[in-house]
Amino acid sequence: MSNPDEANLLSKYASEAFAGLVAPVLDGLEISTLPAVDLPVKEDVLVRMERELKTALAKPASERRWVMVIDLRKCVGCTSCTVACIAENKLPPGVVYRPVLVEEIGTYPNTAMKFLPRPCMQCDKPPCTEVCPVNATYKNEEGVVVIDYDQCIGCRSCIAACPYGARSFDFGGTYLQNTPDNLDFMLGQSGADGYERLADFEYSEPRVRQGQNSPVGNARKCHFCLHRLAEGMLPACTTTCIGRATYFGDANDPGSLVSELISGNNVTRLKEELGTEPRVYYLV
Amino acid sequence: MLKKVIYALGAIALLFGLWGFYERLAFGEEYVSYGSAVVWGLWVAVYFLFGGIAIGSFLVASLEYLFGIEAFQGYGKPALWTSLVTLAVAMMSVGFDLGHMERIWKAFLQPNFNSGVVADVWSYTIFGVLTLIALILAVRQPKNAALKIVMGLGFVVALFAAGSPGKFLGDNATRLYWHAALLPMQFVFMALLTGAAMTLAVQAFVSPREGTKQASSILSLASVVLLVISLYFVWAYFSQSLYGNIPSLKDSINELIRGQYAWLFWGVEILIGAIVPLLVLIQPKLAQNQLWAGLMGLFILIGNGVARYLIIVPGLNVTVLNNIETAYQGPGLTLSYSPSPVEWAVAAGALGIVILALLLGADFLPLYSKKSEA
Amino acid sequence: MTDKTIPTKSLSRRDFLKVSGASGATAALLGNLPSAFKKVQKTIAAAGEGNFFEAKPENIIYGVCLQCNTQCTIKGKIQDGVLVKVDGNPYSPNNMLPPVDYGTPLADAALLDGKLCPKGQATIQTQYDPYRLVKVLKRAGKRGENKWQVISFDQAINEIVNGGKLFSSIGEDRVVPGFKDVLVAKEAKVISALAADAAAVVSKKMTLDDFKSKHASDLDLLIDPDHPDLGVKNNQFIFQAGRIEPGRNNYAQRFTLNSCGSINWYDHTTICEQSHHIAYTYATAQYSGGKWAPGPNNMKPDILNAEFVIIWGTSPFEANFGPTIMSETITKSLTERNFHFAVVDPRLSKTAAKGWWIPVQPMGDLPLAMGLIRWILENKRYDVTFLSNANKGAALAHGEKSWTNSSWLVKVDPSTGSGQAGHAGALLHGSQLGLVTSQTTTDASGNSVTTWLATNGTTYNLDPFVVLVNGTPTLFDPADDKNPVSGDLLVNTTLQGIAVKSGLQVLLDEASVNSIDDWAKMAGVDTNTLVKLADEYTSHGKKAGVEFYRGAVQHTNGYYTGQALITLNLLVGNLDWKGGLSAGGGAWNAIGNKDKPFDLGGDHPGKIGAFGIKMTREGVAYEKTTLFQDYPAQRPFYPYTSNVYQEVIPAAYAQYPYPAKILWLHMGTPALAAPAGAEQIKMLTDTDKFPLFIADDIVIAETSMYADYLFPDLTYVERWAFLGSPPPDPTKNIRVRQPIAAPIPEIVTVDGEPMPVSMESIMIAIGKALSLPGIGKGGFDKHGDFNRPEDYYLRGIANIAFGDKADGSDAVPDADDSEVAVFQTARAFLPKAVFDAAKWQSAAGDSMWRKVIYVMNRGGRFESFSKAYTGNFLGHPYGKQMNLFVEPVATGKDSITGKFFSGTAHFEPIHNSTGTLVDDKDMPFHLITYKEVTGGQSRTISNYWTQGGMGIVPTNYVKMNPDDAMGLGIHDGDTVQLFSRTNSDGILDLGNGQRESVQGKVKLTQTIRPGVIMVSWSYGHWAYGARDVTIDNQIVRGDPRRAVGLCSNPVLLLDEGTKTTCLTDPIGGSASFYDTKVKVQKV
Ligand SMILES: Nc1nc2c(c(=O)[nH]1)N[C@H]1C(S)=C(S)[C@@H](COP(=O)(O)OP(=O)(O)OC[C@H]3O[C@@H](n4cnc5c(=O)[nH]c(N)nc54)[C@H](O)[C@@H]3O)O[C@H]1N2
Ligand SMILES: Nc1nc2c(c(=O)[nH]1)N[C@H]1C(S)=C(S)[C@@H](COP(=O)(O)OP(=O)(O)OC[C@H]3O[C@@H](n4cnc5c(=O)[nH]c(N)nc54)[C@H](O)[C@@H]3O)O[C@H]1N2
Ligand code: SF4
Ligand code: SF4
Ligand code: SF4
Ligand code: SF4
Ligand code: SF4
Ligand SMILES: [Mo]
Repeated sequence: MSNPDEANLLSKYASEAFAGLVAPVLDGLEISTLPAVDLPVKEDVLVRMERELKTALAKPASERRWVMVIDLRKCVGCTSCTVACIAENKLPPGVVYRPVLVEEIGTYPNTAMKFLPRPCMQCDKPPCTEVCPVNATYKNEEGVVVIDYDQCIGCRSCIAACPYGARSFDFGGTYLQNTPDNLDFMLGQSGADGYERLADFEYSEPRVRQGQNSPVGNARKCHFCLHRLAEGMLPACTTTCIGRATYFGDANDPGSLVSELISGNNVTRLKEELGTEPRVYYLV
Repeated sequence: MLKKVIYALGAIALLFGLWGFYERLAFGEEYVSYGSAVVWGLWVAVYFLFGGIAIGSFLVASLEYLFGIEAFQGYGKPALWTSLVTLAVAMMSVGFDLGHMERIWKAFLQPNFNSGVVADVWSYTIFGVLTLIALILAVRQPKNAALKIVMGLGFVVALFAAGSPGKFLGDNATRLYWHAALLPMQFVFMALLTGAAMTLAVQAFVSPREGTKQASSILSLASVVLLVISLYFVWAYFSQSLYGNIPSLKDSINELIRGQYAWLFWGVEILIGAIVPLLVLIQPKLAQNQLWAGLMGLFILIGNGVARYLIIVPGLNVTVLNNIETAYQGPGLTLSYSPSPVEWAVAAGALGIVILALLLGADFLPLYSKKSEA
Repeated sequence: MTDKTIPTKSLSRRDFLKVSGASGATAALLGNLPSAFKKVQKTIAAAGEGNFFEAKPENIIYGVCLQCNTQCTIKGKIQDGVLVKVDGNPYSPNNMLPPVDYGTPLADAALLDGKLCPKGQATIQTQYDPYRLVKVLKRAGKRGENKWQVISFDQAINEIVNGGKLFSSIGEDRVVPGFKDVLVAKEAKVISALAADAAAVVSKKMTLDDFKSKHASDLDLLIDPDHPDLGVKNNQFIFQAGRIEPGRNNYAQRFTLNSCGSINWYDHTTICEQSHHIAYTYATAQYSGGKWAPGPNNMKPDILNAEFVIIWGTSPFEANFGPTIMSETITKSLTERNFHFAVVDPRLSKTAAKGWWIPVQPMGDLPLAMGLIRWILENKRYDVTFLSNANKGAALAHGEKSWTNSSWLVKVDPSTGSGQAGHAGALLHGSQLGLVTSQTTTDASGNSVTTWLATNGTTYNLDPFVVLVNGTPTLFDPADDKNPVSGDLLVNTTLQGIAVKSGLQVLLDEASVNSIDDWAKMAGVDTNTLVKLADEYTSHGKKAGVEFYRGAVQHTNGYYTGQALITLNLLVGNLDWKGGLSAGGGAWNAIGNKDKPFDLGGDHPGKIGAFGIKMTREGVAYEKTTLFQDYPAQRPFYPYTSNVYQEVIPAAYAQYPYPAKILWLHMGTPALAAPAGAEQIKMLTDTDKFPLFIADDIVIAETSMYADYLFPDLTYVERWAFLGSPPPDPTKNIRVRQPIAAPIPEIVTVDGEPMPVSMESIMIAIGKALSLPGIGKGGFDKHGDFNRPEDYYLRGIANIAFGDKADGSDAVPDADDSEVAVFQTARAFLPKAVFDAAKWQSAAGDSMWRKVIYVMNRGGRFESFSKAYTGNFLGHPYGKQMNLFVEPVATGKDSITGKFFSGTAHFEPIHNSTGTLVDDKDMPFHLITYKEVTGGQSRTISNYWTQGGMGIVPTNYVKMNPDDAMGLGIHDGDTVQLFSRTNSDGILDLGNGQRESVQGKVKLTQTIRPGVIMVSWSYGHWAYGARDVTIDNQIVRGDPRRAVGLCSNPVLLLDEGTKTTCLTDPIGGSASFYDTKVKVQKV
């Protein structure tokens, strides 16, 4: 990055993902125009979303419309959502459902940094499903794009087809492979690897990742934590979000927080022009 | 002597391949270098190459059985055998590329016909079955109405199958490098080209025989024409993309023209794979010389293999979302790809199988009339 | 317990049906059997199937994180006995804004996960690190050679207690002293008599000869009878902790100070942010009984209600106190109401990315602050009423909760004498103007009481302070809430021949030594920016504040910088206001006292009061020791601070003030974490200077690898502690750390009690081996025995559950039967050596047991968030005095230069202890360091999800601005080596011939000020699983993923005076992290 072209490169890479999302912090002081109100701190929004989740779950699945809303003004780029998701789903190395994209823009001292968490968009018109030769991935009745691990043949067509890079392939590795084992004075690999060896609960199917058994050899992706939703729990990335930038709920419920949020005029979706109709909305 | 050397080469390649097969079967895809960003690599290139050869070879056979062209008398059976062998190896290579190859039956019994992969698998499978039937019929009774019908059906399926990989890549509408209607067509012409080239190579190195000067000329001429068309495709494709000025697409093309793949593109695909064969094969003397023509056939095949590789990989090693590849790091998440040892081994194994099967076929199967055998 | 978790190895039929559901079952079958041309679509489990372990309270135990020192409350989720997931605790304000009601049923809380930062999430990989130690190791090669032998816990305890020729088998003939040889003074009475008379010798009330003859029979207990104030030989045992958390530090202090009788107990705060703490403790010090008692050490603007905050040298989104609790207060305020903020930092931190970035020059913080102060004072933009309030009465009269000493008069040394011309030293008292006279009487209970009588008849129970009220000297008692006194703010006059100034005047004079332009230039910002910042800061009334942490204070002038930044808060009078400066909500008292179920400090029969001068000469003025001769002292004294971590080992090595015998390093790594700490490696390998070196650690780490005996320890999810509210929390709370994972270290038997090896069990074992007071039977006097760690901690939890009211009216409810059942079931996977319900109950006491369960079931005790604010004020206001002028500092002297320190914020350039300036003009780059949100000190390289060679931040870099790199021909990805004046070879010497260069890969970035380079922390490991070690002749390979990146500390500057310790703030004690300039060379 040492040549002057880099500035151009930077602006070039101030990419479609961020087009229009760049808040005007570049020039020094930005005085808030927001009102001087006392913040409502009577109840954490998680509690509200949890309540709304219960209401949604009481309806037939097909009448819910799960959406996720990510407020980029509030995202602090902490990657807690990334890690929470990995832990929740016991993801192996190389499989990541919700990376947070960091972008540096501008030249000193007019430098900005933007953060973009990227779960699966659960597109209403998903380019990833029709390419699947065996119908292993499809939109389920609540509109979440799921993968049937027992059906998937691991051809990776869906990965190539996703415009958001939201799918990754499970090649079978573990984080602790090649660490020392069978030592009586140290814990060793087999004492330590429970967090990646015990059953995970994706799609509410307890599944032990072993040898070449699924989900090894499968495409994997964010599933809006269906297994948590099934229990009345919000997605792991949503609960853990320290900027409280991630919201989740039923957009078919007009009173829900997510409905409120996506009715504002600061809503955008990634690669809107593709017409994939993402169910992940960004606030800017 | 030459044959022994080729046998030995085939055996060595297969031996290396056996290690690769073992690794792949025992450890799955843990030790491959393609991943979640570059989802397909060498094995898919091998699949495309051999699949194309299979189709091209079938079309060569159709010159004898379907179109009854005199000059190609005796070319039918070896060409069908070549087609069968290369198709099998192509299928093996793409099978290894699947995370769960044991579930491949699902693609037949629970298929999604909207999927390019299904179109591909089905057309290749039907094509393979037809080729097998044709070969059996041809061996039993070369002059047969049934053979003609089968060859006729096969011809149609083959053309469809030939373009299918191009289609299934092109289905990825967000990957502009692939999403060009030109791509399936390009694959069809590639198949034809490799069919001709393979026949030249086979006749030179596997079953040198007499009285084929005319066929050699025709095949050489066909190669020349197809090479020119291929070059035109490349030009049309590149110039459109570059003039179109969409950065993500330009990036892919630039990787070829002046980036990490420049040596492969200019050196192998263009120079060895096209310019040299063109210069040689337009000279009738050399074109009629089996060895020269066979060598050029090999060059074309190598160039075409690289061309397939350079269609697959650059289409994948561009970011779909900026900065995504640095957001989380782990195996398979990088955009840089070069085949791992296991991948090379499997590819070598595929090559070894093809070489040995062709040689063994020539030596032990009734593919050639007695007199024409070397 | 039966239905606790889903079976993991195989799916039972029942589970299968349950999982797949009725329609799902068919679909699943379709997935397994060929069924032509069927669209195969599985349905997922319906809601409320209840199969998911995370949803059940029986699989949940609440604990406390310690990936960083914020120590957030966490919710641990256990699957098949393994802690597989950690989330935020919904009961706690750390993780929810606001938390759910404390009474919320456990089952409801189970479904609600609170927020947590990525390191907290990665707890799992710290806990289940394959390199975690299980057994006790004894050195089997040279120190640091990493050859070890496994020995039993009993053997280890026996050897360290009794000493002897412990290493003769590897050819070391020396006799190693054991604890029994060092802890020679045992009688509390004898020791306190020695202490009292040593103090008398110091204050010259007793001669040394008299002392010696009076204590002739006990002189051999002393380190040096000629310097009795050094204390007893027990002080030659040093307990040096890195991170040691509340609760655990009380436990370790009880052992070190009061069972062993050694004064040498340390934690690591000076390499952390001590000058920030010290600036606050003196700014909050209260005057009573003629002395200043230090106050709370950490305050923060109430961001949730502020309008403008300057975040100075800290990054709440990444570090500070810390991401989990602070981030949302900022993001919420930023997007939902009129809040904005500036960030003063040479790098564009993630926090700065959302605010107004002011890329200050690394040595420029103090100039910038002084410039702001000057502008505010000159433009009268300070809160006159607030600052004029001289006592509580005035504060109350003007609608304030607290007040300052800005208007109090200070005596100024006109010229000669012992002082410095113009030095503002002691505060003026009424008696000095002859306005009061003292009289001593005896009260009813026979104590003598002194009062001061003014001419107008008022009596004071202190010698009153003086302000001018409209020019008239006026006396007052600061705590007097009846008689408001507001003083003139800017005073510079002479009263009865005494030159005096008001505190604010002293400040103004200090701020006026440079013009605003000059201050700005020194800060590396333009004047406009400085003025704009000052203007903005003072445009929001009391709803503005300055938040600062390490970046501002880890400089040699850190204390003054801290003081200047606190002063900026005082100038806008924001203290205790909603949206202003907050001391936090406070905590329930766990340690206890006479009015609580337990008194963990007081219940200690035979308790020794340790005495003496600490190895680091901290907390004592040079002049008040028998070591005083003249300036300079041999090594610096640190009268105002404590825990001068970087100096412990170098001082012991220099044997000044005395030699050490036993060093116990607990959860610390000075060689890696301290600036120029690698210098300590050659000291630690010297067996003469450190005859016995023991350590406890969870792995073989960078400093513990030099130990003679290395004990495994429990991690923060396996052990106990109780921690008060973090300052960003406006409500009262206390967090309870308890075992939420089964222990990895081996379980041993200590005097018949099974327990995992840990710091706690080592202390119990040593205590029992030597019959130290306060351990074992009757260890807590009538409150029971001290045989197990829980005997301490559970009693602390009982105190929490009991509450702070003597009558018990503040107690939590009893856990009902179902809660008791959940409590037991959730812990059934813990070995009996950890969880033994009967033993726990008997430790806590039957009457408190169910209340203890109630608290533990919620991970602590949390006040309702409705108590956070009262009207326009914080719900827990500080409500006391703050000092703009700090008298104790103003009257003290630097032990090296002999110069007075300043009472107000004051510009002091970066300097060596000798007073010489640090500037290194030939070194082109200023080197700084910072924390990634994914890095937890040196403790998270095992976290492969986030840090270890892969994941989110796989490695670190030498980050520099492309402009700087271009000049040097350096490109992205090049490897460069760093060199400084005192590490001119750019080398890290690990001893035993192992030398590495201090080098790393370059990453170019526009996010840094040109001329500054930065290296993030938490990488560059040379141990911690990064290095091969040999144990019992077996080679354990290091993991290359852990060796990535670099640590820049080895090139940080050594002090010219001590030559063995880094640059240090003489007042706050902070180690300098950001004052080193370096050369960068491509390799
Ligand atoms: N992620 C994470 N968080 C933590 C911890 C952790 O280990 N990891 N540990 C906890 C502990 S113990 C502590 S002490 C706190 C520390 O919390 P912070 O003080 O917020 O953290 P640091 O990154 O150490 O702070 C240094 C900041 O100062 C900036 N800086 C460097 N030099 C200068 C300078 O000269 N002037 C100014 N103004 N700024 C400068 C750096 O760029 C960086 O942003 O974090 C706590 N939280
Ligand atoms: N370059 C650079 N250096 C820094 C900083 C920086 O920002 N940049 N930050 C500084 C700050 S703020 C601080 S507070 C210090 C921290 O410095 P230290 O307190 O010295 O170091 P830590 O990394 O907290 O802990 C060190 C040791 O504890 C061990 N350990 C980990 N967990 C446990 C446990 O549960 N029990 C026991 N017994 N041992 C355990 C580790 O193996 C390691 O050896 O570092 C400072 N150093
Ligand atoms: S984001 Fe990608 S994976 Fe997700 S639904 Fe859309 S296309 Fe499919
Ligand atoms: S990888 Fe699996 S889910 Fe994706 S397209 Fe292939 S079979 Fe379908
Ligand atoms: S919704 Fe669940 S699966 Fe998707 S990113 Fe969030 S945590 Fe991961
Ligand atoms: S957890 Fe929230 S704040 Fe942190 S990166 Fe994810 S979305 Fe952003
Ligand atoms: S801020 Fe993060 S690492 Fe620090 S204690 Fe809280 S959860 Fe743990
Ligand atoms: Mo710290």
